[in-house]
Amino acid sequence: MPEQLTDKMKAFLNEVFPAVIALKRPNGSIQVIPVWFEYRDGYFWLNSATSRRWPQHLQKAGEVEMLLLDPKDMFRWLKVRGRLVETTTKGAAEHIDRLSLRYTGNPKYQSSQPGEQRITLKVEPVRVSPSWGSGE
Amino acid sequence: MGSRAIGAALSPPAQALLAQPFLAVIGTRRADGSVQMNPAWFEYRDGYVWVNSHTRRSWPKNVLRDKAISLLVLDRDDPDRWVRIDGRLVEASTVGAEEHIDRLSRLYTGNPFRALEPDEQRIMFKIEPVRIAGENI
Repeated sequence: MPEQLTDKMKAFLNEVFPAVIALKRPNGSIQVIPVWFEYRDGYFWLNSATSRRWPQHLQKAGEVEMLLLDPKDMFRWLKVRGRLVETTTKGAAEHIDRLSLRYTGNPKYQSSQPGEQRITLKVEPVRVSPSWGSGE
Repeated sequence: MGSRAIGAALSPPAQALLAQPFLAVIGTRRADGSVQMNPAWFEYRDGYVWVNSHTRRSWPKNVLRDKAISLLVLDRDDPDRWVRIDGRLVEASTVGAEEHIDRLSRLYTGNPFRALEPDEQRIMFKIEPVRIAGENI
């Protein structure tokens, strides 16, 4: 079962800003990147193309650190340690359109590269810590 | 998302992005090798990235031990525009660090930095960019 989030956390995750994820490259160096996400049905859903490196690093690691940060307020954030529970190309093209709508207002993703295969990554929150302390 | 760029030099649009008071997310490595992320103020000046913290916090300890830092700066008005600097620590100093955090505070908030806590020792880091990546820069 994923970690249960409070209503305040859910409302925060409904705001539109990218998640920042941190991964380690094969040589051990750190990679910090912004990614589109949505929090739905208790999971974080990310999307990428199979040719990109970060989903490959994520699949290899099986877990990921995420920072959800209000870009306008450094004291509003949620840190999430997540476990990758599913990776699929099925429905991934529709999913990036859905994220495009959330982030750009355009229901059709505009930055597809020719021949690219989208991939959806389902991440289970294992540990969640908000900047505003517990009990809210 | 949009066009991607990777290299060792900062393009003029990347420099323009870094000149804004946007928050950075810094990634450091803990002693056990795991990754830690923290929001941070920063400034890009004279070809280096400057960040500032409190010596008792964990991320500056990571930087002192590991000498490496990854700094991501997001355009808060455009989620598809960002720059990432993977950098190397070239200098850590407590001298001038209180003036530096005050300078950053004025850049970001328009106000002087809060009063320091009794045990608070500020430290500033000079980071040399080694690898630049980003989108729409």
